[in-house]
Amino acid sequence: MASVALARKNRRVGLIALCASLAMLGLGFAAVPLYDLFCRVTGFAGTTRVATEADAARAAELSAGAPTISIRFDANVARDMPWEFRPRQVTDRVQFGQRDMAIFEAKNHSSVPVTGTASFNVEPEQAGKYFNKIQCFCFTEQTLQPGQQVTMPVLYFVDPKALDDPNMKGVEQITLSYTFHRTR
Amino acid sequence: MATTADTFQAHAEEHHHDADHKPGFFARWFMSTNHKDIGTLYLIFSIFAGVIGGAISGLMRLELEQPGIQILGQVSMWLNGSADFDQMLHTWNVLITAHGLIMVFFVVMPATMGGFANWFVPLMIGAPDMAFPRMNNVAFWLTAAAFVSLLFSTVSPGGTGTGAGIGWTAYAPLATSGSVGSAVDFAIFALHLAGAASIMSSINFITTIFNMRAPGMTLHKMPLFVWSVLVTAFLLVLALPVLAAAITMLLTDRNFGTTFFDASGGGDPILYQHLFWFFGHPEVYIMILPGFGMISQIVATFSRKPVFGYLGMAYAMVAIGVVGFIVWAHHMFTVGLDVNTKMYFTAATMVIAVPTGIKIFSWIATMWGGSMEFKSPMVWALGFIFLFTVGGVTGVVLANGGVDDNLHDTYYVVAHFHYVLSLGAVFSLFAGFYYWFPKMSGRMHSELLSHLHFWTFFIGVNVIFFPQHFLGMQGMPRRYPDYTPAYQYWNEISTYGYYIMAASMLFFFANMLYAFLAGKKAPANYWGEGATTLEWSLPSPPPYHQFETLPVIEDHHSHHDAIGPKGAASAH
Amino acid sequence: MKFGDIARKRLHILPLIAAFLALFAVPQTALAAAAQGAGTSAVASVADAQSPNVADDTAAPAAAAEGSTPAAATSETPGYTPLGPEMIKGQPEPGGIGFQPQYSDNGQWALWMHNAFLLPMMVGVSLLVLVLLLWVIARYNRRAHPVPSKTSHNTAIEVIWTVVPVLILVAIAVPSISLLARQYESPPEDALTVKVTGYQWYWGYTYPDNGGFEVISNMLPEEEALARGEPPQLAADNRIVVPVGEPLRIQVTAADVIHSFAVPSLWFKIDAVPGRINERLLTIKEPGIYYGQCSELCGARHAYMPIALEAVPREQFEAWVLSKGGTLGAAEAAAEPAAAPLQEPESSVEGAPGAGAAPATAPAA
Repeated sequence: MASVALARKNRRVGLIALCASLAMLGLGFAAVPLYDLFCRVTGFAGTTRVATEADAARAAELSAGAPTISIRFDANVARDMPWEFRPRQVTDRVQFGQRDMAIFEAKNHSSVPVTGTASFNVEPEQAGKYFNKIQCFCFTEQTLQPGQQVTMPVLYFVDPKALDDPNMKGVEQITLSYTFHRTR
Repeated sequence: MATTADTFQAHAEEHHHDADHKPGFFARWFMSTNHKDIGTLYLIFSIFAGVIGGAISGLMRLELEQPGIQILGQVSMWLNGSADFDQMLHTWNVLITAHGLIMVFFVVMPATMGGFANWFVPLMIGAPDMAFPRMNNVAFWLTAAAFVSLLFSTVSPGGTGTGAGIGWTAYAPLATSGSVGSAVDFAIFALHLAGAASIMSSINFITTIFNMRAPGMTLHKMPLFVWSVLVTAFLLVLALPVLAAAITMLLTDRNFGTTFFDASGGGDPILYQHLFWFFGHPEVYIMILPGFGMISQIVATFSRKPVFGYLGMAYAMVAIGVVGFIVWAHHMFTVGLDVNTKMYFTAATMVIAVPTGIKIFSWIATMWGGSMEFKSPMVWALGFIFLFTVGGVTGVVLANGGVDDNLHDTYYVVAHFHYVLSLGAVFSLFAGFYYWFPKMSGRMHSELLSHLHFWTFFIGVNVIFFPQHFLGMQGMPRRYPDYTPAYQYWNEISTYGYYIMAASMLFFFANMLYAFLAGKKAPANYWGEGATTLEWSLPSPPPYHQFETLPVIEDHHSHHDAIGPKGAASAH
Repeated sequence: MKFGDIARKRLHILPLIAAFLALFAVPQTALAAAAQGAGTSAVASVADAQSPNVADDTAAPAAAAEGSTPAAATSETPGYTPLGPEMIKGQPEPGGIGFQPQYSDNGQWALWMHNAFLLPMMVGVSLLVLVLLLWVIARYNRRAHPVPSKTSHNTAIEVIWTVVPVLILVAIAVPSISLLARQYESPPEDALTVKVTGYQWYWGYTYPDNGGFEVISNMLPEEEALARGEPPQLAADNRIVVPVGEPLRIQVTAADVIHSFAVPSLWFKIDAVPGRINERLLTIKEPGIYYGQCSELCGARHAYMPIALEAVPREQFEAWVLSKGGTLGAAEAAAEPAAAPLQEPESSVEGAPGAGAAPATAPAA
């Protein structure tokens, strides 16, 4: 019967369309890790890179005779975060490829232990893929006891490859910004 | 020529002998599987939601008529039972949120895809009904349930006051940690339901259009309205699930401690915007494409000419649909994108102007050399073409990322999207309504009242929205209940425009009243020889079950000669 | 109906507007002329802050002369007098139909692009469509043209209306892309840095190069704004004060939800997103007061957190910094780790005044 054949055909097309929409639904959720990965790989939105000691050593080899660049450090706390958080130095100057350490200071002003997570980015955004962190307090959660004051180091270097990137032309200063959020 | 095929029996054997046998009232309207009845339900629903959404815009225009707070205290009393300063301001955010969501999801989409597409896609392709009639019914009632959930949200606690005050975009973190209370959850739930309903009906349309065209009705012979619905259905199937995912994550961020969009757990609020606008940009084409389709039918009918550049018109819509998926970040130009991203989205966005221009010029070319008759649908279509052009050129301005830095989130944007949607999509809705109303109801409406409706509405909406360009260029941000006195001049005029527009709607309702009480009986083809698609071969209203024996579309030179000059009844 | 009212109201408002404009035009033209002379020299002489520029000379006496305004009269910091209302430059104009006058290079460039490319395109395309519509209505209606043609294809014309829009768009894209490139120029290393933080519902302005003090800026109540001769809804108790004529590194972030830092007369708008910083270069050409408003829905008082930016010559800016308890000589100070004091955390306290009471808050306090 024609109508039976039609019903079967309809079911097939309907299921294909349904699968397409389910695939898009999956893609919607998959966007969370994918976006994260995309940012890490391309430095999109000023996302910094994580480097190993080996990477750092390789970059250091290239640094001979490389110019220096100014780095600015910026610290923020979210509104519900009872911490004081600031960079020890507002700006610093490093040679491309040479590792450097920046110190941030944090103090818990509340009367309870507070755990925080730091989000971060660099400006200008195109510097993200050249900004490598070897060690950072932002890799893990940080817990401060009431009244506790700590210093938090960041070990980083700026990849000398940035010197060859036309997008990095005219960039005289890179700002590294952190914001501490209260972990829920 | 519509001739009968001797093979291929249509479904519904039990109604074989009486095509016009209708079930009882409850079964017909609450358990309906008939595409025409469901289309009627959608249209009634859309008009009902439109009255509510329009009333909310009235409240907004009243508030903005003068600087300071005018009527928000009163509205806050209705919603909150009290009216302190923050509650009044929160009430404003509830109004703009409800207005946006209602107009997008419960007025335009139910009218185009629910109402007209349900009614006329099967008729135009010569199908007896939709592919999945029961799913069609489920989709409608889900839409209705979604609307109830949205209304419920406006009276639920929403943090500062009653209702969800997050804007229709529901950006995190304002919609997550920024709004406690169940109102936002109800609003999100409403979007889930409405989205599921739209996906269902889109799957239905795709299947119907692919599988149930009458013999001889090839894809390249389909009326452009059917093409527009097909493209729109694809956009819905591909875009809405992304919204569903985004708002589901919003919901879990709110209630279950996840941090998809919350920086405190490694999430990113910007990602929500990417996901939202990946859906949101196709969504604006979802609202306008069926309008394009209707305008094409109407322009061809009243020019007594086939559509100029049929294939170009069809594939322009496909192109708009495809490009619509890769331009989303122009809604996020100020969010802190890097320069290359912004340049790409600037260029990609401007590309859309090309297929849109093709459509505008093809409509004019269709009229060129035609024999135009200015019946009510045609004047609305002419109004559409001009106003959509005005909305389109401001879109090209906004597409420039550097220029947008000043106009982003100002009234210029509000003016732009109301020109393409409130004056574009809504004009096409009225054009389609007047075009097909006698076909659906069997009663002729009054041409005089329709024309009065058009002219007053045309003046009204232009007085509302044209000055909003000026406000935006002067820097007035959108979503503001209060402003500095310098903005008063054009805001006041804009509000007067609303009064004209609201008064104009009286002509519309009077027209409906007239049609049902005293309207002449509509013949099968009341627009005459220009109307050539299959629905005009059927009586008005069509029988409860049509095309039990399928029409055969013979090969003609023109794409719009499906029933030919001697087809069925003539209006004259 | 109400139209008679409008007509009457408008008619008697017109002379008022004219008078208002005239009142503004006099000092403005004088200043513009002065600043024009200063414009080039000011930028060149940024490095040595000593060299006085012309705009400074005109601005200072003007501010002093207006010392009788309540804001200035009650000022408790002798080192710095905020600009008076006669210096307001970036604000909407009643009944205005265009962009606000632009006071930054990029703004003037963008405005030029809008007026030279986009506006003619908009008017041209709209008029073309309108004329074509009117033509077909007049020529091809049923009475004038009873027998329709059957033409439905014309390859030549279809190619034309595809290619011509493409060419127009390319013509627009060229200045558009260069505008973007200009807007994304990186601030030089020694650019003064101001960090703008959006809070529900006020702004905080931090000066990391000047000791890291934060100024909290709330909207002035309507009566207060009017008393000071400033526009209500735009006036703020503490302005963001920056030096004129030199590059500024504006960094924007937020502490709670997304806000947007926008100043229409500088063609400047950048979202304040919690958990990340956005940076743009800004150079203001003339001393003056420039108003803006939060431009991203941020909750109930979204409309009540204006931005009031005050651009003053370098030495006045330095006086202002000192009056706030800040330090000068940022670059050198930054090199010594101990010199950077703790960033004041009071920003997390609702409605807290900024470090060092602002002169403007004095009457309210």
